Amino acid sequence: MTVDQVSSVAGRPSSAAGAGRAGSAERTGPSMTVRRHRAFYMFTSPWIVGFALLTITPMAYALWLSFTTYDGISPNWHYVGLGNYRELMGDSTTWDALGRAGLFALLSVPLSIVAGLGLAVLVNRPVRGRGLFRTLLYLPAVVPPVGAGIAFKNLFDQNSGAANGVLTFFGFDAIGWLADPYARYVLVMTVLWAAGNIMIISLAGLQDVPRELHEAARIDGASAWRTFRSITVPLLSPVLLFQTVTGVIASVQTIMPMLLAPLSTTGGLTTIPQSNYTYMIHVFSEYFALGRYGYASALLWVLFVLILIATGLIFRFTSGVVFYNVDPEAKK
Amino acid sequence: MQTHARAPVSRRRFLALSAAGAAAGAASLGGCALQVSTGVSGSGETVTMMVKADDLSPDLVQQAKKETGITIKRVDYDITKLIAMLTSGSPPDLVRGVGAVDAAYFAARDVMQELDDYFAASSVLRLDDLDPVNDLWRYDGRSQGKGPRYGMAKDFSQDSMFWFNTAAFDKKGVTYPSETEPVTFDEWLDDARRLAQRSQGQTTVFGGSYNGLVKLTLMATMTASAGGSLFSDDFSRVDFTTPEARKALAWYIDYCRLKVGPSPVLPDPNGWDGPTYQAGRLAMSNSGYWMGGMIGTDKKLAQVSRLAPAPVFAGGPRISACQGGTGLWMPRKAKNKDAAWRVFEWFFGEAPAKARASSGWGIPTLKSLRPLMPAKEEYQKRTLRAQENELRHFSVVSLSPYISGDAFEALFNQVATPAMQGEMSVDSLAGHLNSTINQQLKRGKEQVG
Repeated sequence: MTVDQVSSVAGRPSSAAGAGRAGSAERTGPSMTVRRHRAFYMFTSPWIVGFALLTITPMAYALWLSFTTYDGISPNWHYVGLGNYRELMGDSTTWDALGRAGLFALLSVPLSIVAGLGLAVLVNRPVRGRGLFRTLLYLPAVVPPVGAGIAFKNLFDQNSGAANGVLTFFGFDAIGWLADPYARYVLVMTVLWAAGNIMIISLAGLQDVPRELHEAARIDGASAWRTFRSITVPLLSPVLLFQTVTGVIASVQTIMPMLLAPLSTTGGLTTIPQSNYTYMIHVFSEYFALGRYGYASALLWVLFVLILIATGLIFRFTSGVVFYNVDPEAKK
Repeated sequence: MQTHARAPVSRRRFLALSAAGAAAGAASLGGCALQVSTGVSGSGETVTMMVKADDLSPDLVQQAKKETGITIKRVDYDITKLIAMLTSGSPPDLVRGVGAVDAAYFAARDVMQELDDYFAASSVLRLDDLDPVNDLWRYDGRSQGKGPRYGMAKDFSQDSMFWFNTAAFDKKGVTYPSETEPVTFDEWLDDARRLAQRSQGQTTVFGGSYNGLVKLTLMATMTASAGGSLFSDDFSRVDFTTPEARKALAWYIDYCRLKVGPSPVLPDPNGWDGPTYQAGRLAMSNSGYWMGGMIGTDKKLAQVSRLAPAPVFAGGPRISACQGGTGLWMPRKAKNKDAAWRVFEWFFGEAPAKARASSGWGIPTLKSLRPLMPAKEEYQKRTLRAQENELRHFSVVSLSPYISGDAFEALFNQVATPAMQGEMSVDSLAGHLNSTINQQLKRGKEQVG
């Protein structure tokens, strides 16, 4: 058997060494290629099975639900075809909620990326106790959203919260932070408070910037700001792109702080100030308050498609400004 | 030549196998995760109860084992989980529910077990011993309060009554409300306005809180107090534009606009009136007898607290309904019904019921347990007198089976918030509420069939 013949049996181009092993495999066991394939699928199968079971299956189920009037319990549900999708196209509440979610993303994503990057730059400097600062700044990111929501609810309570305590101490009138129109800003603050997550990723990116580039810029007389703008930011651009994409997705899907911040005696989870009544709150309300599983599933599928489009647009519009520091030799 | 078995697995084949594995896994998960009833016969039976942690302490579970020989497995109450369990055909054996809002809703969807035969045969829960509040758990296919029994309340209150703190009244020189004769809603609001204490935009003391148990029961009982009905005769529509419903709506919107107490536009971070009232930051709390359980733990607070009758509208009837009636029901597809009924009897008629009756956290739902209500201290006697007087005005206000309490709450808050902030008139709000809530009722009616 020639080398080429063995390669064709294995179904892959081979090196001479590989061919030798494949040739012997006919006699003693699976070829190297087969074993490599098997290993690949063995290692990836937990994820693929999990993905199929926990992502594809629920998504397919939600897609099926979106064509029905199912409410989870009533016996008389029926198929409505695209009826739920047609309804949401004309549902002003849905579009208003989507608009608020978009506005929230526009406010929170840039602010949290800038805050996270700023903090990363600060804790990347060789100062004493920077490990402690990194830990302290990262701590809010590990606080569960439920805890954060309750803490913010108490901090910003109109009558007994610390925020108004400070205002009234200086002679200002208290503000109804958890009601319209201020509730939106409290929500943005909740997100900014947890910017430690972004800080950690930016910090990793910063530490990956070659030191010699900074040294060269300094020798050339570049200011710190110029160095940051012309060297650090371009080299960090893939990290910033990643943060933008995941930030937009996460902000559109944010639900917990919105649900918790305004919790009161009277309305429970569905008492949301209008300014925080975003798309996911609408979905939550349709699912769990109104019991409209079919309509809410249609809402989720529309959101899924919109997120795909938004992600595609972000990639398209940033393709010219994101700098991938790829080893040119590796491409050959 | 290599055998087929040794050929590398193609991506397509691998993904197909993965999908098949996932489908099989999903099926097996669906089959096992929700199997909660063991259905074991004999003395070692297990009954699954879906309740909140407060409803069933670990001590009570042990007590049940000792006194009935039945093991109780507690599952945390979660409506989504309950629906999943009902859908999969493996529901808990007993489920927590709020009689006023859940009974008609679930019974109309045919997921509740009729308990009439069990009641008829029971020597613990005798029909002539049941308090009328248990009629909240009856539904005849059209109206609540009549027809087969689907559950029972563990205790109850007349939730339109209110507690007041005499110290707050003294401080502002406001006359105490009568403990036997009802004030009008307008008088209540006027008092709340006078009792509220504000400084630099902050409310240091709320004048009063009046939000009902949920908006559905609040609006329905207030409309009844104005002499009307929120729902049409067949419960398929609401009408907020009738004079009686509009009166109720206008009063509540006024209450929110005046900001005398917690509301959707002035949320209380405590989540309920108890801690705010205990801290002396709430002069009047629209809570029934049950809040006496909390008040009684603080002797100082108990001395200055009084329970007053449900307010009325001037010229309107005196209605004092129970807006809750929290208790248990048995799903139609429960696997272990006989054992579940034994736990039901124990929970509602034996040691736990007696302990609840003497705790002051609600009126017992068996008439025979009334003598156990706390009446040693002077403040307890006083509260009991006010409560006994109010019981003469008890009635069941029927709610629609076509809308859940949560759905009504969500829609009401969504639509009414601009009116609470003074940006929409009550008449416009009434029209908006009609169209929004009637749409949900229409969907509900289609679902029920």
